[in-house]
Amino acid sequence: MDDIDAMFSDMLQEMDLLTQSLGEEAESAPLPKPPTIPGPQEMNFSVGFTDFNASLHDLEDNDLDALMADLVADISATEEKFATEKDTLKGSAPVAPIPSQPPSNLSFPGSSSTLRQATSSNSIAATPPPPTSKPSKEELEEQIKADKIKLALEKLKEAKVKKLVVKVEIMDGSSKTLMVDERQTVRDVIDNLFEKTHCDCNVDWSVCETNPDLQTERGFEDHENLVEPLSTWTRDTENKVLFHEKKDKYEVFRNPQNFYMWKKDKKSLKDMKEKDKEQLLEENFCGASVIVPDLEGILYLKEDGKKSWKQRYFLLRASGLYYSPKGKTKASRDLVCLVQFDNVNVYYCKEYRIKYKAPTDHCFILKHSQIQKESQYIRYLCCDDEWTMTLWVTGIRIAKYGKQLYDNYKAAVRKAAGSATWASRSIQASSSASTPSPTPKARAANGHAPQPAVETKGSSNQTSFPPPPASMETLPPPPPDPMLPPPPPAPPSTNKVNQFPPPPQFPQSSFPPPPMDDLPPPPPPPPEDSELPPDFLPPPPPIFSSCGGEALPPPPPDPIASLPPPPALQNFASAGGAPPPPPPPPPPPAPAPAASKPAGSVRKVAPPPPKRTTPQLAAPSVG
Amino acid sequence: MAAWDLTVTVEDLGPDAPPLQISVTSDLHIGGVILKLVEQTNLKRDWSDHALWWEQKQQWLLRTGWTLDKCGVHADARLIFTPQHKPLRLGLPNGATLKMRACFSSPVFRTVMGICRVLNLRHPEELSLLRPVEEKKKKKDKDSSEELYDLTDVPLTAGSVQALYNGMPAHFADSPKTEAVYKMLSVSLPSPAPEAIAKLYRPASIVDKTHIHTRWLDSSRSLMQQGIQENDKLGLRFKYYTFHDMDPKYDAVRLTQLYEQARWAILLEDIDCTEEEMMLFGALQYHIGKQSLSQDMVSSCQGMDDLESALKSLEVKMVGDGNSTDMLDNMTAPELNDHLKIFRPKRLTLKGYKQYWCKFQETSISYYKSKEDRYGEPIQQLNLKGCEVAPDVNVAGQKFCIKLLIPAPEGMNEIYLRCENEKQYSQWMAACKLASKGLTLLDSSYQSEVQNIQTFLSMQRSSSAAPTSQTDESINTHSLVSPRYQKKYKPKQLTPRILEAYQNIAQLSLTSAILKFLQIWQALPDFGISYFMVRFKGSRKDEVLGIANNRLIRIDLGVGDVVKTWRYSNMRQWNVNWDIRQVAIEFDGNINIAFGCVNADCKVVHEYIGGYIFMSTRARQQSDTLNEELFHKLTGGHEAL
Repeated sequence: MDDIDAMFSDMLQEMDLLTQSLGEEAESAPLPKPPTIPGPQEMNFSVGFTDFNASLHDLEDNDLDALMADLVADISATEEKFATEKDTLKGSAPVAPIPSQPPSNLSFPGSSSTLRQATSSNSIAATPPPPTSKPSKEELEEQIKADKIKLALEKLKEAKVKKLVVKVEIMDGSSKTLMVDERQTVRDVIDNLFEKTHCDCNVDWSVCETNPDLQTERGFEDHENLVEPLSTWTRDTENKVLFHEKKDKYEVFRNPQNFYMWKKDKKSLKDMKEKDKEQLLEENFCGASVIVPDLEGILYLKEDGKKSWKQRYFLLRASGLYYSPKGKTKASRDLVCLVQFDNVNVYYCKEYRIKYKAPTDHCFILKHSQIQKESQYIRYLCCDDEWTMTLWVTGIRIAKYGKQLYDNYKAAVRKAAGSATWASRSIQASSSASTPSPTPKARAANGHAPQPAVETKGSSNQTSFPPPPASMETLPPPPPDPMLPPPPPAPPSTNKVNQFPPPPQFPQSSFPPPPMDDLPPPPPPPPEDSELPPDFLPPPPPIFSSCGGEALPPPPPDPIASLPPPPALQNFASAGGAPPPPPPPPPPPAPAPAASKPAGSVRKVAPPPPKRTTPQLAAPSVG
Repeated sequence: MAAWDLTVTVEDLGPDAPPLQISVTSDLHIGGVILKLVEQTNLKRDWSDHALWWEQKQQWLLRTGWTLDKCGVHADARLIFTPQHKPLRLGLPNGATLKMRACFSSPVFRTVMGICRVLNLRHPEELSLLRPVEEKKKKKDKDSSEELYDLTDVPLTAGSVQALYNGMPAHFADSPKTEAVYKMLSVSLPSPAPEAIAKLYRPASIVDKTHIHTRWLDSSRSLMQQGIQENDKLGLRFKYYTFHDMDPKYDAVRLTQLYEQARWAILLEDIDCTEEEMMLFGALQYHIGKQSLSQDMVSSCQGMDDLESALKSLEVKMVGDGNSTDMLDNMTAPELNDHLKIFRPKRLTLKGYKQYWCKFQETSISYYKSKEDRYGEPIQQLNLKGCEVAPDVNVAGQKFCIKLLIPAPEGMNEIYLRCENEKQYSQWMAACKLASKGLTLLDSSYQSEVQNIQTFLSMQRSSSAAPTSQTDESINTHSLVSPRYQKKYKPKQLTPRILEAYQNIAQLSLTSAILKFLQIWQALPDFGISYFMVRFKGSRKDEVLGIANNRLIRIDLGVGDVVKTWRYSNMRQWNVNWDIRQVAIEFDGNINIAFGCVNADCKVVHEYIGGYIFMSTRARQQSDTLNEELFHKLTGGHEAL
């Protein structure tokens, strides 16, 4: 016991040292880190700058402000989190002073001192008040020790979170710099960027990476983490992160017929009814397994290590990309697997006619995300025209990501609809429900009014320590979303936001905005049990959770965070069973007429009254 | 009214007893006939299940209120007084034969409902009965050796069986014998011997596949009407490939049987798949087999499951409580340290393996020139996060290599690690596997991963010696793949391939492995298509019609290509001309097709299409009750009246 005690004292000291040195670091580099424990994989660097120092000069003042604020927010968020937690756990325990919120409009020169301020308050909290009252009471001592340990671990945890400063280029040539931490998904980053750029927030906006060496571009999927792929870039990379609209990102969900019935004449598909589109999506994305478009046709494949391109007959299957060798049939057993999708991503390529003497410029490659230069491990493919390329790339994305893609889309539509009707502040609230703790504060620094209530709650979410007791029990909470109107059907392909039908009484009636007095600083056990009638919703279906559920963050246990539709929750719910609980708005899908009409043709139509099937009457009891 | 004599054979009197003559009038109702009959037999027993069967007309006289006149029974009629429920030998999807009582008098649809209720299978509308493949009469009688499960003593209960006792529906918990039946139903059976697979009938072509579907029974007529006799054998199969509301919690039997059906479909090449897919199916079968064996009857119980999950969540909570020692451990991660031989293939080098001192820490391998140098700078450090790990193993040749493909900006680095023995190999392999997913040796799955690798290796060792079916530890990999791959690869070649696929699924639980198997099965392009040989109106050659859950497919027999697809959502109506046995369908946009069935009864085709449309209405129905009337309306045809 003494050993551990000593160890922790040591550790706390060391951390204080580190936190203090942090302030100095801040002066020399634009990337002040929160206290870190040196680890083998620790790497924080900036992305989008040619080198480390250049990034310093490149940064505009306001960018730096934002970054600094991000950082301070990080630290104080951790602090606060801990403080509130302690409060809830034992109300009688000495309460660490909650550091005051850092001023939101810092200027750079002053920022380091502000940081020091923050860190010093940090250390105050780190050493809890000595047990003045009754040292004889061992219980109290134990308690304090436990607190110390928790604090230390919490700090370590926060410190271990990898963060990147990312410069994102926007279509108009300008750029934004933001800090991304490894827990954030691309969706979070996009939301963040929506706020910073005030663009129209439609679903097509995506974060992309480009690689000038390979002349590739790939849009990150909304559920991916941004930090992970970016941290595998080389130090001297000229890769860029772009933020722009990509029409093909979710095109498959707007016009599934073009992908799933690609063999048919495109003109005949043009005016497909919305109802039929929905049914197509339902069939292909909502079953036990996602159905991949049955793409097949001739593509050019660049021969291994050679300059020539050879025509091959390719087929797409859920298990990978196949081609049929010369002289063989298209039967499954004869197919040769070119690549399976577990370890590779698909990238669009530019100007391969010049670079690799490709037959056309409509090329895509499949490679491991870490490969950054020409390599024999890259598969180069070339299509006859752009549409074929879109078809294949989208097909491969469906095969690789499955239902996740559809969930992403639905979340994006919800977001877009929300942002069209809501004020920008409500977007904040909605995104903070799904983003990790630091972000709310980061927003505060961007000049928007923070929503304190959500912040506290949101941050207490993140801890691995026991949150307010009841919330653990109630996990997973029944998704409250089905109460809200379901997302509008496939949005129109134009980018006008106001074309989205505003969700009817979305914010007002379903959930009243949280009254302030409802939220004392120490969050009470979530009151959702009383708010949500448990019998109103089917319990989250446990089946098939492997197909999507596990990749998602656990649903936040607090009800307030779920006030605006949180994507995580929705995903959780819809990743579940075959028919998702919130049905698409027009209830009777296509089979209805099909079912009754033929019946009529076979015999008289009579709307069948739902009849109870009577169980077998007689039970044999012979012998 | 004049009285006349009615001849009735009472089966219960024995086969040789003469038929009874009872004096009746034409306005006597059926119930009265039965009463008279029973009085005349002088037998005291429960006759409630008995009914009159009119042999010449092949129909039951079930309406006791109808008079003889109304039924059309005259003095020349020969009636048989017989039980409505008779034993039937059911071939289950898993290949086992189960003897149980089924209703011979109600439409097959309802008979299947009854059977499914006893077997605890939900959604009976997805299943149906088919006649078995006529086996070529081989002189040696195999039937005697066939293990037969018997459920004939289990009374058919009315109402749904939901009461669970000892983890199974109460009626299975009666005796050890019935418990064994439930186990057979709910736990997947061990893999068959490869020879057994090879011996079974396999459709060689799409034409062969059309024969399967000619054998379905008519859902709207009774078993007796279709010539099925007591103790006949029928197959019970999932007929409609749309599985509504699958819930592992309630569907233990359904899931297992569906898995078995899928497994056999793949082993017998009913459905085509690629080599890569076959290896994955093989790996999953192996995993499911292993998990099923280790899964004791007790632990499969519902109650225990709940307890287990409760314990699990408790465990999680404890960990979540910030167990400090745990977190401390986190900071001092365990390592592996050993001598390994490393080989990096490069162009123009023939250098072989060289021995280094290797250290596995976190997700990286560092290697040093010798053990003494281990505190200095390593020669190289390889971070395995995101890398591809493949086994290169030959137990007989004592070769235990791990092939690593480590992604780097320039491409993939190819590195081979050579281990001395199985133990070392399994430890390092498991570590590499976890590291590739970003997990460290600390991860709770490490030990089981090591175990998995070891058992798999032992399987390779034994497969060369013992070619027969699965025992506890060993299994012949040939029994996991279809005969085509049995021929293509020797077990020694096959094992590494399956092992490779196995790496990715070894951590799945039994249920998720089964679900995964079904998922991949359902993602196959040809999944869920039932083939029928038809001749389209105006065409001179036979073609194949594929019926799936959302569309009809016209397939050219010559090439095997899909010529045309029609979706049900565009279907306006369909008609059957029962006189010329032709199905006519009208689609949106004035598209009309008509075809006659070549080898199947057109009722089967009609029922298939109607059945799928019925299945698609289920999603909207909130209640759990089955709309039997609608089903018959959609599938019945004029005879169903």
